[in-house]
Amino acid sequence: MLSLFQQGIEAVFTFQIFGLVFFGTVVGIIFGAVPGLTSTMAVALFLPVTYSLGAGAGISLLVALFVGGTSGALISAILLKIPGTPSSVATTFDGGPLMEKGEGAKALGVGIVFSFLGTVVSIIALIFIAPTLAKIALRFGPHEYFAIAIFSLTLIITLASGSMVKGLLSGVIGFAFSTVGIAPVDAITRFTFGQTQLNSGFEILTVLIGLFAISEVIKVAENVKHEKAATIGKVSMKSIKGFGFSMQEFVGQLWNGFRSALIGIGIGILPGIGAGTSNIVSYIVAKNRSKYPEKFGTGVIDGVVASETANNACIGGALIPLLTLGIPGDAVTAVMLGGFMIHGIQPGPLLFTTQGALVYTIFAALILSTIMMLLCEFYGLRIFVKLLAVPKHILLPIILVLCVVGAFGLGNRIFDIWTILLFGLIGYGFVKGGIPQPPFIIGFILGPMAETNLRRGLQLSDGDFMGFLTEPISGAFLMLSASSVFWHIFQAQRAKSAKRRAAVEVQA
Amino acid sequence: MGDAKKREYVLGFVILIAGIVYLVMASQLKVPERPGVHVDASFVPYVLSSIMCILGVLQLRAAKNYVPKPKAGNGDDVDYGTVGKTIGLVFGYVALMSYLGFPLMTVLYLVAQFTVLTPHDKKVNYVLYTVIAVIASTFIYLTFRYAFDMMLPVGPFDF
Repeated sequence: MLSLFQQGIEAVFTFQIFGLVFFGTVVGIIFGAVPGLTSTMAVALFLPVTYSLGAGAGISLLVALFVGGTSGALISAILLKIPGTPSSVATTFDGGPLMEKGEGAKALGVGIVFSFLGTVVSIIALIFIAPTLAKIALRFGPHEYFAIAIFSLTLIITLASGSMVKGLLSGVIGFAFSTVGIAPVDAITRFTFGQTQLNSGFEILTVLIGLFAISEVIKVAENVKHEKAATIGKVSMKSIKGFGFSMQEFVGQLWNGFRSALIGIGIGILPGIGAGTSNIVSYIVAKNRSKYPEKFGTGVIDGVVASETANNACIGGALIPLLTLGIPGDAVTAVMLGGFMIHGIQPGPLLFTTQGALVYTIFAALILSTIMMLLCEFYGLRIFVKLLAVPKHILLPIILVLCVVGAFGLGNRIFDIWTILLFGLIGYGFVKGGIPQPPFIIGFILGPMAETNLRRGLQLSDGDFMGFLTEPISGAFLMLSASSVFWHIFQAQRAKSAKRRAAVEVQA
Repeated sequence: MGDAKKREYVLGFVILIAGIVYLVMASQLKVPERPGVHVDASFVPYVLSSIMCILGVLQLRAAKNYVPKPKAGNGDDVDYGTVGKTIGLVFGYVALMSYLGFPLMTVLYLVAQFTVLTPHDKKVNYVLYTVIAVIASTFIYLTFRYAFDMMLPVGPFDF
């Protein structure tokens, strides 16, 4: 193993691969940072470039694009409150408020460092425990996936700070929008109104751009004319040393980061869900386990740490089933599988024995691109912050144009641009009605997973619902879901009666 | 009744109506009946629409008991005129893009949007806005067209 690893290190330190990894990381960061462009797009766009390269060089480039793209999304999530990709939705929850408090540099610094740590932990998991973990994940069937989806959906209650009704409503509407298109299992067309473009449903990216970016532009239009020197925010870099946070703050976040990395790896391994889900789940867990959950959403670094560690930990997690079983864990690894095929490599259990040197070159490229990501983002920190000096009325329309291009690029259709406008108006309606947007995304992502696996599971158990309870893993997750719902209702009732008692005492 | 309370009521009614419409649409789905299959393509829409109706009722109940929080400052100073113009400009931009092409429409949209969003304490600088718009539009178009092979609509001007 050590000699193979040494070979891998030697390979990536050749001029060609080193240069490609650097280029891939920088381009990946740009793709992640621009709303509407994703790491999946970056990998897909550069796939043809790898034709002319050797297997090691080509796959190293793809890996670097993947790492840069996943991490780069934190830049726009914090500076503009617009998640660059679905993997950074939860970063906006606390990154945005930190930015408003003038602590944007700290939020960026924390995000960058914990992105790095999340990736490192996931690479370690990939190298040492990949085959064992992949075998366990492979045993998961429709029952387990349904239960996991339901468990994650029940977490919406936690995100619904303020009104539980509005939080649930947001999740239900998100789920409802996911039912547009061809239904799973029996392929019945639903709610398409004869529009063939709706057959494949709405793209997650158009939903995300609309809900967060377009609605943000409309929201800014509400009062930008009355603001003096209307810039996005101001961050002074003069007093900022290093990454902008203290050693004490770093140590205080280590457990949060480690837990989030485990969540990211676990979710990354499961085929079908990835960084888009892990960042939200990890944020919710961090909030629930925190000593000060009420501060989440107001600008605490814990939220940024949870989201950024978990989404980057998905990188190694998603590569585990790809390399060991040949199953892509998410969209990016599905495109990367194509990259392997181009070079005549078949990922799977035999890959480690037949292509040992290549596997360790990939591991070395992962480590190198993670270090490059840290360095590029650290030195880029000062440049990113300068973006804020651009006045809002100039910056936001240009971002809107980039969102339009990103939406158009999904399928070269004007239809997708109309879609982002639709979701932009819905997002703005949510803002005006005080409805939280994150549960919508959870409902939209996990809804189809729950429905598909419910129907598949019922097919397997001849229409018997008991299968979901009698399968141990599925039963355990459903029990956890029920307990979580009852616990939150109980807590909400207790808080309400305490408030009522306090009001009576004040009156008396 | 205050504006905030009214808004909560309106929200409740909107949810309830949306839930009923979704329920009707779910009932109109053409799902072939299969013996022994109870969960078909209409199952989830039925469940979701029912939940939406329940949430609508709960929201109306919450609106009834809603006590608005006292606001700091001078209340709601939202500039709906600028919001309306922005939404109109974005719709116009997308609607005309197929005919006039991405490069030209982007320049027109950006200049108009910069102008609409310019704060009252700043002077509208058309020359600067046009220069920024032309540079941004050209850079974005050329990058995506030639570096990423994205076939953005060109309109009457074929580059």
